[in-house]
Amino acid sequence: MSKVSKLTTGITGLVVNQHPHHTLGVLYGKILRTLQKMPESAAYRKYTEQVINERASVLKGTACVETVEKSIGCGQIEEVIVQAENELILARKMLTWKPWEPLTKEAPATQWIWPPAKH
Amino acid sequence: MASILRQLTRTIRSPIVQNRVVASSNGLRFKTTAPAEPKEETRPTVRKFDPAQREQLKDFGQYVAECMPKYVQKVQLTAGDELEVLIAPDGIVPILQFLKDHHNCQFTNLTDIAGMDVPSRQFRFEIIYNMLSVRFNSRIRVKTYTDELTPIDSCNDVYKAANWYEREIWDMYGVFFANHPDLRRILTDYGFEGHPFRRDFPLTGYVEVRYDDEKKRVVIEPLELAQEFRKFELAAPWEQFPNFRNAPAASEEIPIKDEEK
Repeated sequence: MSKVSKLTTGITGLVVNQHPHHTLGVLYGKILRTLQKMPESAAYRKYTEQVINERASVLKGTACVETVEKSIGCGQIEEVIVQAENELILARKMLTWKPWEPLTKEAPATQWIWPPAKH
Repeated sequence: MASILRQLTRTIRSPIVQNRVVASSNGLRFKTTAPAEPKEETRPTVRKFDPAQREQLKDFGQYVAECMPKYVQKVQLTAGDELEVLIAPDGIVPILQFLKDHHNCQFTNLTDIAGMDVPSRQFRFEIIYNMLSVRFNSRIRVKTYTDELTPIDSCNDVYKAANWYEREIWDMYGVFFANHPDLRRILTDYGFEGHPFRRDFPLTGYVEVRYDDEKKRVVIEPLELAQEFRKFELAAPWEQFPNFRNAPAASEEIPIKDEEK
């Protein structure tokens, strides 16, 4: 395991992760497995897989945490972990919502018209 | 959004594809061909917009619409550079959760929830959610609609900040939020009746409150006006704002159904 180079993230409530590679690897695996339950054509699946694969390949490329942070470009590695956790929760909820289906309900014709006078 | 932004800046920098954004490694996605380029604004007192930023917002609006086609009815830009996503009322929790938790959105901050009342519409109330993404330094507005009787899903589980905002909407407009943990009045006085921001609520209210010397307490009485309501004829025979006759439209729609054509 690489030595942890910092004592704090400087963000309240966010502690330094000792094994970021392991944590992120597990999270990305879980996200990808959840995404595989979605239909192939879903845009959400497509784009999320793209992001996750990009980050996973960066993660695989090097063991140096700072290089990973720099090439992902989305904050410290602990923040990246939080983002992955959020995405995992979201992906699991998406399975029940099924947002890739066609529009449920059209708005009434005058609903989004502004200014609303003269109808 | 990071990847989209990166691709976008790349396309914007290249001079060949100026007005056309085809930014996706998965092949053709959207074509935002700008119709006849409006004349460049030169007046010093009129606000100018950054075309690159507008393109980014447009592309992001289409991205949201593409990811959540079940709920997004319309995407538009208002005031030049403010992105609005107009959605069906049953999609409020999924859309907000998506905007909060997705890697490319991260709108973690719910700035405000506002309400609007337009009595002439079939669904008279509009509920407006303003969000801020600290990560990407951008804002988005989500709008949905309801009427007096239809409850709207509370987004308290997504954003803790929504608790008081939704109470405020309930107090002012009487829009009911389903699954809200503590839906009470928040701004008006104890025993207040009615919803003061509705357009049919009179400016003077229905009751007045005063201290009664004999009873030694504050009493609430039905309002008595010393003078009858006066009706002012405000419509003049001439045009009110001729300078705004050819004003640009309040909002500019972003096409979201290009793929189906």
